Amino acid sequence: MDSSCSLWNSCIQPRNNARNNFQLKCSNGHPLNAVSSNDGVAGSSLAKEDSKTQQTEASFPLSDASECIGSNLSITVVGASGDLAKKKIFPALFALYYEDWLPENFIVYGYARTKMTDEELRNMISRTLTCRIDKRENCEDKMDQFLKRCFYHSGLYNSEDDFSDLDSKLKAKECGKDSNRLFYLSIPPNIFVDVVKCASLKASSRNGWTRVIVEKPFGRDSESSRDLTRRLKQYLTEEQIFRIDHYLGKELVENLSVLRFSNLVFEPLWCRNYIRNVQLIFSEDFGTEGRGGYFDNYGIIRDIMQNHLLQILALFAMETPVSLDAEDIRNEKVKVLRSMRQIQLEDVVVGQYKGHNKSGKSYPGYTDDPTVPKDSLTPTFAAAALFIDNARWDGVPFLMKAGKALHTRRAEIRVQFRHVPGNLYKRNFGTDLDKTTNELVLRVQPDEAIYLKINNKVPGLGMRLDRSDLNLLFRSRYPREIPDAYERLLLDAIEGERRLFIRSDELDAAWSLFTPLLKEIENKKIAPELYPYGSRGPVGAHYLAAKHNVRWGDLGIEE
Amino acid sequence: MATFCSTNCRSYHSLQPVSSPSSKLGHVLQHVTLSSSSASKRFLAAKVSLKSQPDSNQVAVHTHQHEQSDGAATVAAVPVDNDTTQKRLKAELLSVTSEEESRAEASSDKDENESVSITVVGASGDLAKKKIFPALFALYYEDCLPKHFTIFGYARSKMTDAELRNMVSKTLTCRIDKRENCGEKMEEFLKRCFYHSGQYDSQENFAALDKKLKEHENGRTSNRLFYLSIPPNIFIDAVKCASSSASSGNGWTRVIVEKPFGRDSESSAALTKSLKQYLHEDQIFRIDHYLGKELVENLSVLRFSNLIFEPLWTRQYIRNVQLIFSEDFGTEGRGGYFDNYGIIRDIMQNHLLQILALFAMETPVSLDAEDIRNEKVKVLRSMRPLELGNMVIGQYKSHTKGGVTYPGYTDDKTVPKGSLTPTFAAAALFIDNARWDGVPFLMKAGKALHKKGAEIRVQFRHVPGNLYNRNFGTDLDRATNELVIRVQPDEAIYLKINNKVPGLGMKLDRSHLNLHYAARYSKEIPDAYERLLLDAIEGERRLFIRSDELDAAWSLFTPVLKELEEKRVVPEYYPYGSRGPVGAHYLAARYNVRWGDLGIDLDQ
Repeated sequence: MDSSCSLWNSCIQPRNNARNNFQLKCSNGHPLNAVSSNDGVAGSSLAKEDSKTQQTEASFPLSDASECIGSNLSITVVGASGDLAKKKIFPALFALYYEDWLPENFIVYGYARTKMTDEELRNMISRTLTCRIDKRENCEDKMDQFLKRCFYHSGLYNSEDDFSDLDSKLKAKECGKDSNRLFYLSIPPNIFVDVVKCASLKASSRNGWTRVIVEKPFGRDSESSRDLTRRLKQYLTEEQIFRIDHYLGKELVENLSVLRFSNLVFEPLWCRNYIRNVQLIFSEDFGTEGRGGYFDNYGIIRDIMQNHLLQILALFAMETPVSLDAEDIRNEKVKVLRSMRQIQLEDVVVGQYKGHNKSGKSYPGYTDDPTVPKDSLTPTFAAAALFIDNARWDGVPFLMKAGKALHTRRAEIRVQFRHVPGNLYKRNFGTDLDKTTNELVLRVQPDEAIYLKINNKVPGLGMRLDRSDLNLLFRSRYPREIPDAYERLLLDAIEGERRLFIRSDELDAAWSLFTPLLKEIENKKIAPELYPYGSRGPVGAHYLAAKHNVRWGDLGIEE
Repeated sequence: MATFCSTNCRSYHSLQPVSSPSSKLGHVLQHVTLSSSSASKRFLAAKVSLKSQPDSNQVAVHTHQHEQSDGAATVAAVPVDNDTTQKRLKAELLSVTSEEESRAEASSDKDENESVSITVVGASGDLAKKKIFPALFALYYEDCLPKHFTIFGYARSKMTDAELRNMVSKTLTCRIDKRENCGEKMEEFLKRCFYHSGQYDSQENFAALDKKLKEHENGRTSNRLFYLSIPPNIFIDAVKCASSSASSGNGWTRVIVEKPFGRDSESSAALTKSLKQYLHEDQIFRIDHYLGKELVENLSVLRFSNLIFEPLWTRQYIRNVQLIFSEDFGTEGRGGYFDNYGIIRDIMQNHLLQILALFAMETPVSLDAEDIRNEKVKVLRSMRPLELGNMVIGQYKSHTKGGVTYPGYTDDKTVPKGSLTPTFAAAALFIDNARWDGVPFLMKAGKALHKKGAEIRVQFRHVPGNLYNRNFGTDLDRATNELVIRVQPDEAIYLKINNKVPGLGMKLDRSHLNLHYAARYSKEIPDAYERLLLDAIEGERRLFIRSDELDAAWSLFTPVLKELEEKRVVPEYYPYGSRGPVGAHYLAARYNVRWGDLGIDLDQ
């Protein structure tokens, strides 16, 4: 065994242990996991392969595409020439490889219509790969080794023959061993079903698992979503479908549950007795920038609210699950979604950005985008007040806000607490009661942080109260790079951990909540409130908040 | 307004005439009727910064005798010239209005008629030099003293005014954050300092002082503050002379005394009784300088102005509370006084117990001094008598480290060779009331330890049914939340929470939500003595110990102190500069507690 081998060995073992521990806990004894035949083997076969194949690494033959290399995991990125694949999926796979999270003999296949050689694919990918800032050594070596495991197969998305060819190539590399196959569908939604059909019929694993990762949009309303699910299920079982919501892979969203369930100090606070309102805020500081074709058909509510923000809301508001198992968590999330009150049109504000000139520079409006119809009413901004009619949250407004072309880029969760009853220090605050309440902020991006706004005394001889932060800035406490959401989600899919993926019934419930509203907006042709590119969004959002006696936490004077 | 009092000290440019309570004062008046009472003179603060005027409600310091039930009204009473201004004040929250300006001008007339004379009795002593004069200067420097004030040093040494000024000037410093005019200000301050030499038990000498004071008061209303910076055995003499020969004729007379207030229940009661022969309760300001510390002041703010702490502050969530004091030096040749008292009397019975009472008290009716002190007394009276079994005592012994030999306690020449006086003590206390039943309050205080610090640690219970339990392994003590209030040095508040280590695995980590004062507040934090002196001048009694509090505190400790002395309990020895006797750990272990300051995950 050479040195690289023992190095690999020494670093993967502890991580695998850690990971396996957690996996054990998450999936242990869960009926669904136990029943799903093709998943049950995942963990064990991976672990087995890990130990079995370590010796072979040094002699890993990579030159010939058809050569048998005994791969035990094949990841096929369908739509390999697309933007998401280049920017997120391949870099995430490389990061996982770089940190030794992937099984020994994995291979990555790019699949798309474009004619390309393996070399050309490698060349394309290599431009977007980066190494972790905190450990750059061997970066080039690692990149080369990773690229040698990447192959390309050109084919049509609806051709069973082309997928058959892919299957043969995969088989050749697997040399008849147990092998698992993961398909990442990085393609437009209208061809989801074609690809799933071909892949499932012609390129499924014979003796391992086959899983498919799909990404939004999952339909555009209840009906189309249900239809998509129904058609996917013709070829796949529920356990094979991994619906990604990459926000659930964000570090602080993962941390949300940890904060809630592993800190006693938050436990009594997490209910209507103490929480006055919850705000889920997403903003981008750029517009569609010539890529409005897809967006215009969906709009910000479908693109951000119905999935990302609603998922975070469900995680935030759910009851304590029986365990951290995926099914237990998803059961609780569905319960939240089903307890939610129908969204009323008057509890929603929609906006659209317009052109704006600032210091000599002109920023285009949404409808100036050539890919967007001139008279489009598609909202690029929306704010909504939602309510959960259950014992824990009755009467607590959950405010969502999402927009493009705003003044900042950020995603955060803000929890505003109620006033101190009978506050002895009341007069110190003057009349601005909104400034006096505690607030817990989880900043998901950028610059991850958790902070709790508290009142304390300004040092000095007087008794002046000040609102300061008890804070945890991740960057300063954890200097190492935080993994991209896609890394976590890809790894989870490989390991069969479903906690962060959306189950069909969750998706249904999410659409049921938003579909009536979306239809009403479209039927009534509600004109969005226009706001300048780069501004703080339409003022309507403030009136919506005011109606529920809330003040947006992100637009205060302190920010 | 910033130029006026840019710091957040309570501006003190006006002093309302106490002796002639004007009817304009409205309902703030009640307390003015008391002999020693001063109305609050802080109304100018409205001009300075409304926000910085918190305690205008606290001006009604004597209200306990008059208007307990009227607390709300008092709270609302900004001491302005009439009732309606109060409403206007609210409306004008952020703007300085001409009205306020005019009030300010009006007040300067009153200012003209008021004077305060501060006599530091024992002016040549260490405390006076190191703390009292510098604190007075800092107050002056920040415009917190009234316009007409005079400072007199009084001691037995023969000294001229110039000599006193020379002595005082050596210890004065300016705030780091605003050095301009420092030299000038010092000059001006020193010009107001005078010296009078006299015996502490001589009525004639005090009468002579009175004469000098009168000259300086120049016919203005005279308010007199005596700071007794002298050994306890001459407290009474000085108080007697000062009160009978140098009291104010037409204003208030107040006396600040500092510990020790006796050495047990009996001697303390005797001291109080003697003092009260010459002074009323509300003329006596018993200082506990720990109560003047910034973070001790902040403790109540944290508790009562943050909703998130409200549900947590009970036995249901708090597993134990730790009050920790440590010094990294010994008696260093000054053991004479200490040996007669020991660490329990010197630190625990007063400083730590006071903090405990503030921490554990029920929400007071208001922030008025009497309301707060009433609640503190209730806590003290609910406490279970301290038993010898719940106490560990220690004494430091000499230790050689890196070639340097540190002397043991009994190596100090001023300490008797066979002394059993504890220089370290740890105790477990319990409050038998509904809120705290069963929650151990652990105290620890020691000299010659490995570090210097004072902190309050609140350890919370475990998360019931913790979903992440397995991630923590078996060390459950590391998994609980902890709130730490670091009083000194390097003031900070932080809450230890569990969170996920960023990365692909699921590893939990204990990190801090923290507020580090030095990082957030660049300005210097005032010394405890500044706050307390200012409070005494303003008649704000919140941070001073009332007689019944003192009684209750002694009742708690006297039996165990007597038992220690009668049984001649031998202290556990610990090396100079160490972490103290291990007995403290066993004491903690008995109540299923782990000291937070000696854990493996030490704080920044």
